[in-house]
Amino acid sequence: MTTQPIPAGSRPEHIDAYLSGLDRYNPETVSTFQDYVQLQCENQTYDAMSNLALLKLYQFNPHLTRDETITNILVKALLVFPSPDFSLCLHLLPPNVLDANTATDDLSAAVRKLCVLNELIESASYREFWTAYESDDLYADLVADCAGFEETMRDAIALQISMIAREVKKDFVQGSLNVNDDNLTPLLQRYGWTVEGDMIKIPINKENEAKTMVFRESVAFNQFQGVVRRGFEQAA
Amino acid sequence: MMAAQMNGGAARMHDDDSDDEGLATTLVEAMQEDDGDYDDVADGTGVQVTGDDLQARLAAAATPLDFAAGLPARFTSYDNYCSLFHFILNSDGPVDLELPTVYWAWDVIDEFIYQFNSFCTYRQKAARTGENPEEIQVLRENPQAWGCYSVLNVLYSLIQRSQMNEQLAAIKANKDPNTVAGEYGQRPLYRMLGYFSIIGLLRVHCLLGDFTLALKTLDDIELNKKAVFAKVMAAHFTTYYYVGFSYMMLRRYADAIRTFSHILVYVSRTKGFQKNSQFDSITKENDRMYALIAICVALCPVRLDDTIHTTLREKYGEEFALMQRGGPEALPVFEKLFLQACPKFISPNPPDFENPENNVDPSEHHLKVFMQDVKNTISAPILKSYLKLYTTMDLNKLAKFVETDPEALRKQLIVYKQKNRQLRWTEGSLLDGEMTHTSDLDFALQDDIVHVSEAKVGRRLVDWYLRNLQRAY
Repeated sequence: MTTQPIPAGSRPEHIDAYLSGLDRYNPETVSTFQDYVQLQCENQTYDAMSNLALLKLYQFNPHLTRDETITNILVKALLVFPSPDFSLCLHLLPPNVLDANTATDDLSAAVRKLCVLNELIESASYREFWTAYESDDLYADLVADCAGFEETMRDAIALQISMIAREVKKDFVQGSLNVNDDNLTPLLQRYGWTVEGDMIKIPINKENEAKTMVFRESVAFNQFQGVVRRGFEQAA
Repeated sequence: MMAAQMNGGAARMHDDDSDDEGLATTLVEAMQEDDGDYDDVADGTGVQVTGDDLQARLAAAATPLDFAAGLPARFTSYDNYCSLFHFILNSDGPVDLELPTVYWAWDVIDEFIYQFNSFCTYRQKAARTGENPEEIQVLRENPQAWGCYSVLNVLYSLIQRSQMNEQLAAIKANKDPNTVAGEYGQRPLYRMLGYFSIIGLLRVHCLLGDFTLALKTLDDIELNKKAVFAKVMAAHFTTYYYVGFSYMMLRRYADAIRTFSHILVYVSRTKGFQKNSQFDSITKENDRMYALIAICVALCPVRLDDTIHTTLREKYGEEFALMQRGGPEALPVFEKLFLQACPKFISPNPPDFENPENNVDPSEHHLKVFMQDVKNTISAPILKSYLKLYTTMDLNKLAKFVETDPEALRKQLIVYKQKNRQLRWTEGSLLDGEMTHTSDLDFALQDDIVHVSEAKVGRRLVDWYLRNLQRAY
């Protein structure tokens, strides 16, 4: 579903068993799924299928809902933009969660806060994303459980930039990644980007190459089935 | 060019057909042998109700509930389904039943889910308006009626009893499904109920907003014209509608378009031969699918099949043009078509009777989430129309053309590029796919210079060659 399927074997066996059987509906598995979300937060992994299954359990059993687990799942989903994961999670939350007039509980408020970040990140407003993120202490609380949130977000944004640009102004990169001069250098080294004056050069990759291509027709043998058959029929 | 593409499509469909021969011969025999018409059931003339209460109950289970049915009728109907399914699932050994009609199994699952859907909507509305206190009291006292757990339980039990997933896996592996079917799964009753329950699950998950799980449910079913559901027009249609819709919500617009196109082309080609009442019921649904395909094509422009394109222009010409043009004026059109064509979404739990205003229509919620992506995507058509004209272009100049500032344009370009990459199904389960470019236009930025490139399709010669070769004989 997401563009980043989990690496084979990284999902714990018991979770895999739940997901492939009817236990995914069993309210007693909620705490196990919750622990797994916690684990994903700690060791910086991500398992969309399992998280959606937990949100579904919450959907069916609202009394079991744990606010911080939901926000943790959303925060994790933010990090895999531009995959639709964040939206897919929202679809499973209570229908009034986005309605500021009626849903006044803490969870709904937090979800709407995260939606603001999601809108910014999905519209490629990276500088505005960081400004919004730093403008409210609530965000720091929301991402607190999620180890390496800022670093992961930076890498994700950098990946998007590298997919569109070969050369880009240093200002833009600094703003998009929200780093100062000192912190920029090690990042650029890690990405393999080079500085030239006030420009940053990004090595050519498949996406920022934008090469004109001509698709040649591919011909399968069985398209000639009829011709070949006819050849034999005529001979006989 | 067009002919070449269509020919290629036909060749592929042909491949699909041969793959599934096994499924067709093993699973549908029962349906093919008996070619009764379901129309007769509604009249009560075609079924032999030989004083057998059970046969009457079976027929009743497949009969649509009156649209204006009140709560008591809905509760009774729920109880009837419960006892019928209990009887089928939990009797001593498999029940020996003759199916009232060919289409019975589909109709019963279809009606069961329809009533669940309609009950949830009814309850939601009652809670929201708060007009009828007595009804609300009854609803409060019966939270278990038409509960989502029991509906899912029925569907999953029918699938498990018939070993349907195992059977489908066996067929996929070219093995005899009867070896894994067990004593229940070998019988047409269980086999058909189990099979259509999978389609039912697809639908229920979609209604609840779980689009990923909806598609995952069909892991073992191969989508093509020879699949069992294709024998029952309504089932065929329903399956493609929900699969296409789920793809759309997963933002896999190219896959959604492919899915909708497939069934719409099929319907338009077979219109002439379909004469039973099943076909009438889907013409309304047909329009909804055209609305959805219009949304998808506006978000992800691709070349449509000619017949579909013509019909689309007839039905939604004005809306389609507005959406394609993009910009903020297009947003209300997207909203209108979405609400018109989306499934009747439900919330799985009893509503909040204390606070009527809390019961937001789930469709509104899903629309809101969906529109977020639309808002991001609709600048794409305008950008594309300009980029197509150049090989290199200055960002500031382009910004003037589209009347925005360079920084905003840069964002739009990044988003355009992201939307251009979509997961697209090639083989395997419906959720699988490869990352592909949906548009033939690509570009990269070198500081403020936009380098535009185009993927061109070379000449297609094989079909031309084959056609002329045939003439040479």
